[in-house]
Amino acid sequence: MTTATTLEPPDPLDPTPVLVGRPDDRALTDSLLEPVLGPTKRGWAILLLVLLCGMGFWLVALGTTLFVGVGAWGNNQPVAWAFDITNFVWWIGIGHAGTLISAILLLFQQKWRTSINRFAEAMTLFAVAMAGLYPVIHLGRPWLAWWLIPYPSTTQMWPNFKSALPWDVFAISTYATVSFLFWYLGLIPDLATLRDHAKSRTRRVVYGIMSFGWRGSARHWKHWRIGYLLLAGLSTPLVLSVHTIVSFDFAISQLPGWHTTIFPPYFVAGAIFSGFAMVVTLMIPARSFFGFKHVVTEKHLDNMAKVMLATGLMVSYGYAMEHFMAWYSGNPYEQFAFLNRWTGPYQGIWFMQLFCNVVTPQVFWFPKLRRNVYVLWIASILINVGMWAERFIIVAVSLHRDFIPSSWGMYAPTWVDWGLLFGSMATFGVLFLLFLRFLPAIPISEVKELRRELDHHGHGVHSAISTEEG
Amino acid sequence: MPSLGSLPIYGQKRPSGTLPEKQHWQTLDELGGTAPVQRGEFPDGAAETPAGFTRRGFLQVLGASAALASLSACRPPREHVVSYVRRPEGVTPSLPLFFATAGNHRGYGVGLVVESREGRPTKLEGNRDHPASLGGISPVLQASILDLYEPNRVKGIRHGRSDLSFAAFLQELSKLLEKHGQDGGARLRFLVEPTTSPTLLDLRSRILQRFPQARFDAWSPLSEESAHEGARIAFGQALETSYRLEGADVILALDADFLGGEGEHLRNARAFARRRAGEAMNRLYVAEPAFTITGGMADHRFRMKASEVLGFGRAVAAALAGQGMGELGAFGGPSGSAALRRQAEVVAKDLARARGRSLVVAGARQPAAVHALAHALNASLGNAGRTVLYFPGSGTDRDAGPGRLQRLAKELEGGAVDTLVVTAWNPVYTAPADLRFGELLAKVPNAISLALREDETSKRCGWVVGASHPLESWGDLRGRDGTAAIVQPLIAPLHATVSEVDLLAAFLGEGDRGAYGIVREGWRARQGEAPPPPPTGVVAAAGETAERVPPTAFERGWETWLAAGVVANSAMQPVVTAIDAGRIAQAIAAVRAPASAASSGAGSADVLEVAFAPDEKVQDGRHLENPWLQEFPHPVTKLTWDNAAYVSPATAKRLGVADGDVLELGYRGKVLRAPALVMAGHADDAVTLPLGYGQEVVGAVGESGLGFDAYALRHSDAPWFDGGLTAKRTGDSHPLAITQGHFRMEGRDIALAYGADEFRHGKEALEHLRGPQPTLLPEVDYAAQPNKWGMQIDLTKCIGCGACTVACQAENNIPVVGKDQVLVGREMNWIRVDRYFEGPAEDPQSVTQPLACVHCEMAPCEYVCPVNATVHSDEGINTMVYNRCVGTRYCSNNCPYKVRRFNYLSYTADIPPLVQLAMNPDVTVRARGVMEKCTYCTQRIERARISTRVEGGKKIPGDAVVSACAQACPAEAIVFGNLNDPDSKVAKLANDERRYDLLHELGTRPRTGYLVRLRNPNPELA
Repeated sequence: MTTATTLEPPDPLDPTPVLVGRPDDRALTDSLLEPVLGPTKRGWAILLLVLLCGMGFWLVALGTTLFVGVGAWGNNQPVAWAFDITNFVWWIGIGHAGTLISAILLLFQQKWRTSINRFAEAMTLFAVAMAGLYPVIHLGRPWLAWWLIPYPSTTQMWPNFKSALPWDVFAISTYATVSFLFWYLGLIPDLATLRDHAKSRTRRVVYGIMSFGWRGSARHWKHWRIGYLLLAGLSTPLVLSVHTIVSFDFAISQLPGWHTTIFPPYFVAGAIFSGFAMVVTLMIPARSFFGFKHVVTEKHLDNMAKVMLATGLMVSYGYAMEHFMAWYSGNPYEQFAFLNRWTGPYQGIWFMQLFCNVVTPQVFWFPKLRRNVYVLWIASILINVGMWAERFIIVAVSLHRDFIPSSWGMYAPTWVDWGLLFGSMATFGVLFLLFLRFLPAIPISEVKELRRELDHHGHGVHSAISTEEG
Repeated sequence: MPSLGSLPIYGQKRPSGTLPEKQHWQTLDELGGTAPVQRGEFPDGAAETPAGFTRRGFLQVLGASAALASLSACRPPREHVVSYVRRPEGVTPSLPLFFATAGNHRGYGVGLVVESREGRPTKLEGNRDHPASLGGISPVLQASILDLYEPNRVKGIRHGRSDLSFAAFLQELSKLLEKHGQDGGARLRFLVEPTTSPTLLDLRSRILQRFPQARFDAWSPLSEESAHEGARIAFGQALETSYRLEGADVILALDADFLGGEGEHLRNARAFARRRAGEAMNRLYVAEPAFTITGGMADHRFRMKASEVLGFGRAVAAALAGQGMGELGAFGGPSGSAALRRQAEVVAKDLARARGRSLVVAGARQPAAVHALAHALNASLGNAGRTVLYFPGSGTDRDAGPGRLQRLAKELEGGAVDTLVVTAWNPVYTAPADLRFGELLAKVPNAISLALREDETSKRCGWVVGASHPLESWGDLRGRDGTAAIVQPLIAPLHATVSEVDLLAAFLGEGDRGAYGIVREGWRARQGEAPPPPPTGVVAAAGETAERVPPTAFERGWETWLAAGVVANSAMQPVVTAIDAGRIAQAIAAVRAPASAASSGAGSADVLEVAFAPDEKVQDGRHLENPWLQEFPHPVTKLTWDNAAYVSPATAKRLGVADGDVLELGYRGKVLRAPALVMAGHADDAVTLPLGYGQEVVGAVGESGLGFDAYALRHSDAPWFDGGLTAKRTGDSHPLAITQGHFRMEGRDIALAYGADEFRHGKEALEHLRGPQPTLLPEVDYAAQPNKWGMQIDLTKCIGCGACTVACQAENNIPVVGKDQVLVGREMNWIRVDRYFEGPAEDPQSVTQPLACVHCEMAPCEYVCPVNATVHSDEGINTMVYNRCVGTRYCSNNCPYKVRRFNYLSYTADIPPLVQLAMNPDVTVRARGVMEKCTYCTQRIERARISTRVEGGKKIPGDAVVSACAQACPAEAIVFGNLNDPDSKVAKLANDERRYDLLHELGTRPRTGYLVRLRNPNPELA
């Protein structure tokens, strides 16, 4: 571990650097591989055990759903979609931060993405894995989910391309595939580092196979770099397309509260909003627990808070615009749908959403609060809650009172619904803990590269410090 | 057709393992229980060739065979309805057959047509040729088919703990009757349902000839004793009253639900609805405490406590007396409030304007004086013989109320009865609480209960005889006008049960005669034909003489009666009788007003008036185990699986209760806990308690304990209403499964209702609710197709009874999901009847709107289905492909009418095999995870298409296909057909000036259109 943190004098122009100190390669490798190669930490093990219990709950809920049917949930007529699709959209939204950080910020050459991208990508993968489950298990007959995939068959039956749901299948499967490739490609040099540092033979073999024979030759680096950039270019439109298509699930319908052209940008902004919130929620404890504070600095947190502020404002604008359009359209059903959010039986959730998504991000106007990890952490959790509430309001509350008043109804979740929500969080947590323990959570090679870049770039300003190595 | 020619075939296995084996016996000894059961078809030695075949031996064998052959008639009804040894004539597998029979509505016959599939009845329809049905059917009769297949019926005969065969029962009974014969049956009593069946009445009088000291007491908790008593007061004889609403311009209903469940309600609904939609619209005034179906159709509804109805009627009489009907002056009396008096005056003026074309109807829950007053009003208004007819009827069982039961109870208490035969439905449960009938019944040494299922009564009877369902037995029933219909079985008894005819015949020593013979020969005698010569020889006993002797006039007529469902020329002539004004005035004066005294005099806030009402679903309780009816939403409150104490919004507020809050009701020292349900338009300071729930002896359906037992508060001196009820909030609550949670229309154009004049001046307002909507999508030319299916629903005619809902359930195998599932909003009915209230909650008007899939031409459900499971047919039907459906439920979310229903759980997997017999084989039974909805009865369309194609055509005639809902509708509010046939009824209605499309602005182009409801309010009451 480096002790440079305390020694470093603050830079008057950039008081929060993206890399604290200038640790040498060896120090970086050691400190960043420590969570993987070091001994198992007690806290990690306890947390894993707790989350495994949650995962068990999730498996029970999942099994109940499959054996009993979706009737085990609280869904009904008229609320035929509720927690299932709420959770789906929420997880998919969370999954957005990874690609955004990895791909778009890479293309924009944002240096601060470097040390958090792997973390965010892993989160994306696990979130997409959680999300992808819901559209399958929410089917009445989940064993026939493959009918949504276009395949040539003797019956000549194809999916209905007019429906948004087959497009969901394409969007999510593409997103999951590209995210995985991108993440794995980024991992290869670090896996090789791991292989080289591993003490046990098993690890050497496993990491060796996983690193595809990476030797760090210039040729490797050249191809790797091209591939990485290509995948970044490929993922960039996905950031926009996935949630756009998810929003079509609602926007193409004629249900008041769903039938809105603002949905694609509004959903994408909400996705980034919640994705960054989730990264922050996970990163703040992880960086302190595993000692990543020097590579994941206040600068990172500060930037992420700014992104949350920006997307939070976009989302708030979306809320305002929905109401404006409802009023401006003169459509009584539309007007009622929005009035019902304020005055209907689910108004509590609506006010919670407003507080979490509109009020909470306002604290990020203040740099001091942005860099206060406690404030940031609580705010990020509130935003996660708020974004879940938003999806619930859109999905279930729009459905529960639509056109014909006689068919209005109420929705109440069952224990299976809660099990699938909290259980999926626990499962997500389990996957994440395993990731932290068995793979380098911070891209070592990229941080080293960053350090060199900083050295080179900041030669004048940082001259006094940058010579620490030599 | 049933045939007596086929003898029962011994040893033949039942087709499936689901039906219990009947008890067979082979020898007389075995029948008597004195010899061990012999194995094998014939007695020992009978199958072997006799060694030396002597003349004596031959005759012995011949005699034995003859004895065996004739003894087979000793069984419970063994007339095989359809034998499947060879394919019966006229039966084509997969094609339904239809047979006419009659259903029993509170003792009176309602003509039915039964759909039979390969020998099992699957659906009931109304019989167009029967005057009490005219083709319509009520939800209760529609659902009664399910009682046949109920799994926990009484399946045989039980004496104490031992099961008996019918023959053994007859033997034991004959011993018993021998004893009773000694004193002329002085200690023999029968407790029966009031009936109009000529056969049963014949049997009763023959039993009384044999046992002159015995007595039949009729009891029904829903008896029309007060109506008959009212007629006795007015005319000196208990005449049947039958309304002719065709000619009624102005109708005043005094707490009479004549459209919903009382009297000839199906016929009334038809005639009433026809007068609603035409040029000369009738006007209906209703005075009632709780909202009924009839109240929902009222142009002016005066809510008042049941005890105030007489006062209102008297105020009308007084006002009419001032209009030149001086003879009514004697009936006038102190009328209540000024508002009430004003209303009565306006009503009287309206009635007087329509002399001879008006009608006053009194309800069965009102005392005799109200009926007598109604007769007097009708007589003075010149309505008698025009809009109301009086028939002599069958003349018995006119006093089936608490009085007779009280007398019987006294005898039981005194130990004066040795044998009590109970064929009335569950009197232990239904008897007024003060009689303690259950305790008394337990004292009777020989109590014989004829019961369809185990109930409180059968549990207290030493003998329990399983009753055959009406679809398993022969019988007959008369309507109010005397029209007789033969009840014919559609299936051999599923269990070893007997009908009431068989049971009563047993008291005449004719238990082995079979109901068929008894009913048929009774009608032969009634037609004045001599009985056929007694059968001679063994061959004749097998019933083959009929083929050799040409049929007599009666026999030819009998066949046509069975085919038509109505006994020709059996209707009686209406009676014209003068009223006895003095007796009526006396009767009115004799009415105490305990209720009004209690509520107005006491002044204490929590003393209320209690009124009892038959439940719309289970009636008096006999249908408690009927799952279709349990899940059938109450026509007004939309409550399922429960009853509830109905209170007005103001009373609920005063008591501090909301829907489902449990009230503690105290009345004459008895306490009853009942969940409250706030009913818009209910009279203040009154509680209405529906009867029939809270039974203790229940089967699978009632297991969870449904509702509360309102009989516990019912007393024989106040069977329908009384004051002095105290109500108190308990703080507990009981979940009520109500299928409609919102009764306000929120100012939306959904179920439109206008005053007739208002509409005439503003009809162009409808223009924006119909006609083409712009679209970017390519147009489909449905006019080019041979068929274009559509439906029109006339809200003016719809009375909201819900017959369509149950008919659809029966036709389309719609599963019952249970209270828990209804509570979370997963009921499966494809067509629901929405009811909206307009105006103040205290005194609203209502509109009902049946709503099923409207088959949008631009269907929002179709484009969102990812797997093409819901697609459009070229005839414009929005079809569901069940086996393609993966269950995303997106279609339901995108359906603005929310008429799609999803199988959240496996609702059909656990249907008992017996109940599966009721399924319609033409309709797929849906599995878990599949969406379903109205198909416009596509199976019926396909059947019509096949027959049209067979005849070489393509275009199906416009009115050839009738959907199940349209067929059941007693009011003819639902019309289905081919819109491409300009002569079809549906095409004409589609161009009606009252037609509009529901949610027209969405551009869905629904194929089901609605015709606005018109009301005919009296401008003087505006």
